[in-house]
Amino acid sequence: MSGTFSKSMARNVFYGGTAFFVLLFLALSFDTQQALPQRDNRANLTPAVAAGKKIWEVNNCIGCHTLLGEGAYYAPELGNVYKRRGPDFIKVWIKNQPTKVPGRRQMPQFNLTDKQLDDLVEFLKYTSEIDTNNWPPNIEG
Amino acid sequence: MNAHSLDTTLSAPASLAAPAPEARSTPPGDLAIWFFILAELLVFAVFFAAYAFARAQDVALFNAMQDHLDRNAGGINTVLLITASWCVARAVRAVCEHGRSATGAHWLAAAIACGGGFLALKCVEYAGKFAAGISLSTNTFWMFYLSLTFFHFMHVILGLVILSILWLQTRRGGYGPGHANGLESGAAYWHMVDLVWIVLFPLVYVMR
Amino acid sequence: MQYKSQAVAKPYFIAAIGLFIGQILFGLIMGLQYVVGDFLFPAIPFNIARMVHTNLLIVWLLFGFMGAAYYMVPEESETELYSPRLAMALFWIFLVAGALTIVGYLMVPYAKLAEMTGNDLLATMGREFLEQPLLTKVGIVIVALGFLFNLTLTLLKGRKTSISLVLLMGLWGLAVFFLFSFYNPENLVKDKFYWWWVVHLWVEGVWELILGALLAFVLIKVTGVDREVIEKWLYVIITLTLITGIIGTGHHYFWIGTPAYWKWWGSIFSALEPIPFFAMTVFAFNMVNRRRRDHPNRAATLWALGTGVMAFLGAGVWGFLHTLAPVNYYTHGTQITAAHGHMAFYGAYVMVVLTIISYAMPVLRGRAANSNRAQVVEMWSFWLMTISMVFITLFLTAAGVLQVWLQRFSTSPLPFMVVQDQISLFYWMREVTGVIFLLGLVAYVASFFVKGEAATLASSTSGRAGIGTQPA
Repeated sequence: MSGTFSKSMARNVFYGGTAFFVLLFLALSFDTQQALPQRDNRANLTPAVAAGKKIWEVNNCIGCHTLLGEGAYYAPELGNVYKRRGPDFIKVWIKNQPTKVPGRRQMPQFNLTDKQLDDLVEFLKYTSEIDTNNWPPNIEG
Repeated sequence: MNAHSLDTTLSAPASLAAPAPEARSTPPGDLAIWFFILAELLVFAVFFAAYAFARAQDVALFNAMQDHLDRNAGGINTVLLITASWCVARAVRAVCEHGRSATGAHWLAAAIACGGGFLALKCVEYAGKFAAGISLSTNTFWMFYLSLTFFHFMHVILGLVILSILWLQTRRGGYGPGHANGLESGAAYWHMVDLVWIVLFPLVYVMR
Repeated sequence: MQYKSQAVAKPYFIAAIGLFIGQILFGLIMGLQYVVGDFLFPAIPFNIARMVHTNLLIVWLLFGFMGAAYYMVPEESETELYSPRLAMALFWIFLVAGALTIVGYLMVPYAKLAEMTGNDLLATMGREFLEQPLLTKVGIVIVALGFLFNLTLTLLKGRKTSISLVLLMGLWGLAVFFLFSFYNPENLVKDKFYWWWVVHLWVEGVWELILGALLAFVLIKVTGVDREVIEKWLYVIITLTLITGIIGTGHHYFWIGTPAYWKWWGSIFSALEPIPFFAMTVFAFNMVNRRRRDHPNRAATLWALGTGVMAFLGAGVWGFLHTLAPVNYYTHGTQITAAHGHMAFYGAYVMVVLTIISYAMPVLRGRAANSNRAQVVEMWSFWLMTISMVFITLFLTAAGVLQVWLQRFSTSPLPFMVVQDQISLFYWMREVTGVIFLLGLVAYVASFFVKGEAATLASSTSGRAGIGTQPA
């Protein structure tokens, strides 16, 4: 009775432990859902922002850039680019790509309309106002 | 078969007097449960260390908020859990040393009642806190208070689920001297839940 | 091979290796684009190369998992596969769908691809690792359901071992959590929150069940240690994995708009995530030391041990390096993450798939193990790939530390692109090491074509001499 190590006990511990932590995770996720309205800037989630998010997605911006630190690490963080550069710079920059500077990293030309550019900027503005626990550490992202 | 094994144990020297527990080289119960217990204790230890660290950053806040805690409720709950642990220990002894399944089941039922009392009292405490608008996001102290106690609360629930299974099994005579691996393992887990509270209560409710 | 239907695993393994080669080639393209920014521009912009690189990785690992399952479940269940024909049909569907998706990435602008494939019906594209068009995502679900149906029925009609149960739990979990890839709310914070339910709960959750099952299976085969012993340790390890890994998801919820308490929850639980990986390493070495026979397939044993060590280093140690919130505040989204990602994926998932391939392929080709010469070449490939991955990780870590220092920590932080120029030396070194990795991969593929006298199991089960033999 002592000194045993049985597979059935190991299995029971696995099922019990897993169920326990799944439930705990669901409880925390539930609390997160309750707390999000204070943090996720949903008051400013306009149709333009939603349209901008879609433009962000269908051009695979995340394939080079990070957004709130997630994505590829090839090009600058854009979660705070609205604060770093402002709306006009962003639009002009996107319109003028690629720079064609030899040897420099190139951003494709996405042929966005003025409306699409406005929406994208709205999305980046909304993103920059999300409460991210003061991340990134400085304006350079 | 059950009656037979009960018979042999009753006529065995065990019934002469309370035998001194033999020194064992291994802990009671299953090694698998001990891995789990160690892992859980490690999680709690890191959580407690994090609490100490966070408290050191803002002692004034922690001390001020601590006054809002109901120490009486916490104290009663401590007594309830220790009593439950005692009942579980009695149950293990009744079954493992004397082969008395019925007695063991009674002790387990008593332990479950104490554990249930703990949960009820804790719910009353939570209700008061939630009514006061306290949540995980209120401040660091309440974050830790709710996280630690709720994490422990869920352990009590799991512990009670385990005790209930043990109670059913014991009532059916599923354990006895020499074959109480499951009972000992479950009991060890319950003692862990109790032990954690014995650290948690002074740390969060009392110490300053 | 004990059951005829196990043979369906073979095309899966071959496809996995083929896609692996593609993944590495695109990795080298990206690595060069890091230092020669206009390389292959505009034909293959970086974002496309990256998408191909990461998607190929996921798809070939899935091929590997599926092949492993088709190989293992009949043998474990002691019965033929429920439907080998379904398995072959799904193979071709998955391969063609995967190939078409990659061709789509390369030939059509991504926005156009999104328009063509119904992204307007349900927008799911353009999120990291989940870039697949809606059609492909639906295809993945269908293939996964058919695959699970086939395996579950096989399991139900045969012996139910712990290994096949754990494997199937992992695979079912994989399919279930993939469903969250269809949820893409307009709210960016919610989007990111549930995006991790796919990504994190895959790689630090259910995939680890698959990893554990594969490793346990190969260890039983090559060491001859009692199944009961291996299976109970398997349970202990996956328990540790899930109790740390599930709440460990919180280490992704520090800076994306989720509540601040995740900084504590995520740090505490993910700080303990190295423990299961450490346990796995100890377990693998222990079982090999307690082996009851010397299996002629030494290469497979090497891969199995390597999986333990490299998963611990890549996922455990490199994960821990930047998992605590105060550290992650500075390292989040830098090359440190890239360093961790590379070694963790290689050490845990690439290596475990190569382990099962190394063990099963010779059997599928009608021998217990490959010839000594072939095994020597395979072991060369092991060391070439593994050591170059260690150096890729070290160079990326160095790049990351400098990046953090110059761009994040400094009192006068420099802009992103300025910093990238300053750390380009490390990117060059990473690229050179990447070429060595490719050489290792070439050696790996070559090992399948090296002839020589194949070993049989009977001829070499007698001796117990060898490395580190000790009673336990």
